[in-house]
Amino acid sequence: MRYPVPAATAVLLTLVGCEQATVEQGDSPPAEPPAETTAVEAAPAPDIHHWTNDRKIGRGDGPANNEHLLRAPLNPEQWLHYGGDYANHRHSPIDDITPGNAANLKVAWAFPTGTSEQFEVSPTVYDGIMYVTTSFNRIFALDAATGEIYWRYDHQQPEDLRLCCGYVNRGAAIAGDLVLMATLDAKLIAFNRLTGVVAWETTLADYAKGFSATSMPLIVKDMAIIGIAGGEFGVRGFFDAYDVATGELRWRHYTLPADGEPGTETWAGDSYKTGGAPAWTTGAYDPETDILYWTTGNPSPDWNGDLRAGDNLYSNSLLAVNPDNGERLWHFQFTPHDVWDYDGNTQIFLTDVQREGETVEAIVQANRNGYFYTLDRATGAFMSATQYVEQINWATIDDNGRPVVDPRANPVEEPDFRVCPGNLGGMNGAFSGALNPDLGLAYIPTIESCQYFQKGIVAFVEGQPFMGGLPIAVDVTNGADYGHLSAIDIHTGEVRWRYKDPEPMMAGALSTAGGVVFTGNRDGFALALDAATGELLWKFRMGGGVRSQPVAYRADGKTYVAIGSGNDRNIAGFAAGPVAIPEGGHLFVFSLPE
Amino acid sequence: MRTTLLVALAISVAACGPTSPADAFRADPEAIQRGKSLFVGTCAGYCHTTVPSDRDAPYLFDRVWQHGGTDQEIFDTIADGVPGTTMIPFKGKLPQGDDDIWRLVAYITTAADD
Repeated sequence: MRYPVPAATAVLLTLVGCEQATVEQGDSPPAEPPAETTAVEAAPAPDIHHWTNDRKIGRGDGPANNEHLLRAPLNPEQWLHYGGDYANHRHSPIDDITPGNAANLKVAWAFPTGTSEQFEVSPTVYDGIMYVTTSFNRIFALDAATGEIYWRYDHQQPEDLRLCCGYVNRGAAIAGDLVLMATLDAKLIAFNRLTGVVAWETTLADYAKGFSATSMPLIVKDMAIIGIAGGEFGVRGFFDAYDVATGELRWRHYTLPADGEPGTETWAGDSYKTGGAPAWTTGAYDPETDILYWTTGNPSPDWNGDLRAGDNLYSNSLLAVNPDNGERLWHFQFTPHDVWDYDGNTQIFLTDVQREGETVEAIVQANRNGYFYTLDRATGAFMSATQYVEQINWATIDDNGRPVVDPRANPVEEPDFRVCPGNLGGMNGAFSGALNPDLGLAYIPTIESCQYFQKGIVAFVEGQPFMGGLPIAVDVTNGADYGHLSAIDIHTGEVRWRYKDPEPMMAGALSTAGGVVFTGNRDGFALALDAATGELLWKFRMGGGVRSQPVAYRADGKTYVAIGSGNDRNIAGFAAGPVAIPEGGHLFVFSLPE
Repeated sequence: MRTTLLVALAISVAACGPTSPADAFRADPEAIQRGKSLFVGTCAGYCHTTVPSDRDAPYLFDRVWQHGGTDQEIFDTIADGVPGTTMIPFKGKLPQGDDDIWRLVAYITTAADD
């Protein structure tokens, strides 16, 4: 479905309460003249889903070009990438919020999404404008200093979406004068960043076959890199590069081998054809070496590996890729022959680490399987893996980085062995971590919720879930699950401190140069922690459970921190949370008093 | 005697309702186990759950049926799917065809909450 704004049917409306804000309504019947009738007799309101903007907005910063994207970590007035910068540190240069004054943070403005389900956005900020995506693929352009709405688009999509894990979206990318949002029905849509008019739209894949897209694209050079979800549907995973200007596909990197290609030998029979390995999170880019890094998720079916004996490449892997043609340079697989749903696609950080007196250009990742990995960024060589969760028993890691699995952890038909971590992690790709390079600490929100793993008979049906079993959330049932945000020494992999919470911690993290870490919890609080010690500095009850990715920025000379709350009952079956709090996304933006 | 037996059989059928292909599977522990394994491997996971939840796919063990609760209606829902939802037709999709659907019917109805 396409929803352009047809000029012939365009109608100009004026938003009540938005001074001189003129919005253009598309794809709906022409407005009737004012009728002198009662409300009972009035015609039903048209189904409006696109409000564009035709007035001058922003500060006149011009297009967001590659220089902006490369300098992203240095400019406090912008938040341009999901990971804050190409290295994914989510570390803002803002230094005026400190452990000494964080307790003074107050609400500056707030904004409702009007949607239920998980609100996982990492807002994008540029030219004084904030772009917020929501569950069900709404996107808003707001004044970053006041929250005033500029334009809005509600993506219309089918009722029979193929989703494993909710109607989520984690943010819009910005490139030039476009902002780009991936959708649950597996499309990529580019909007003019000032008007909200759709510039182009392309289909990544047929959603009815099990595909969807939830992550923020990564802009590299003149391309938007976006990966696909569908690991619970037996899809053939991939990530794509699209020409930002036109939406044309430049290249596709399949994460599963095709007939005759290397890697098929790691799958029994032709099971690689339905092997999943989705690419549903945002990768990283090293502009100095011109290498793109992307990660992959679980093999399909999730919890019954009987028909896919072998390592199942390239599931649960880190892939290094030439960004100009999508060709793979090397790979490292975290969890071969995964039967726990330990997607290997939690946030990767590009960073330098100290080892035996030497500086090594590395990638570190708190993997969903409970281990904190350090790899050589140039070669993918394994350097170390340390435990970052408090409970782990599914495997140890040998000197080559390969798991040595406890056979009791394998799924069976009548399970009675409590496996740690559970299928959600550990950390999970649906939320972000942060890294403070000055302190050498990575901040990792973590779930502690062990499970039984049960397998059953499974048959592949295109477009249908292909999971082969289920996790039994025994810790949820017993009230034993909990969470923490852990600070991990990136040089040693050791845990320096933990901030513990009664519920699994499933919101993203933000680090700031002022020495404050922001996150949220399932009880609906925004939290500020001392980056060096983990001491709780401030909290504010926003309402619904927090699943969003906090960001910080400056606008009109003032510093702001944005965090969204929303709650979600679905997830409580796997990681407990207060389900009595109603769902409903709400973005809160905080600042220090004058 | 023959008349008596026929009358008794007629009364029995009337009292118990029409027979269903699921009846034989309900009486067979191995069939129930296979029905359970099919449910765990194909129907559960992130869709239908084995404990009550708020997921989109309904919980099936509470005796609340959105598309009819007779054996045949449950069979038809599985076989034909539910238009406009992700519940697609499973007829011809399971390893042992209709028999596997009847085993699912037998398991779901046997395991229903009291």
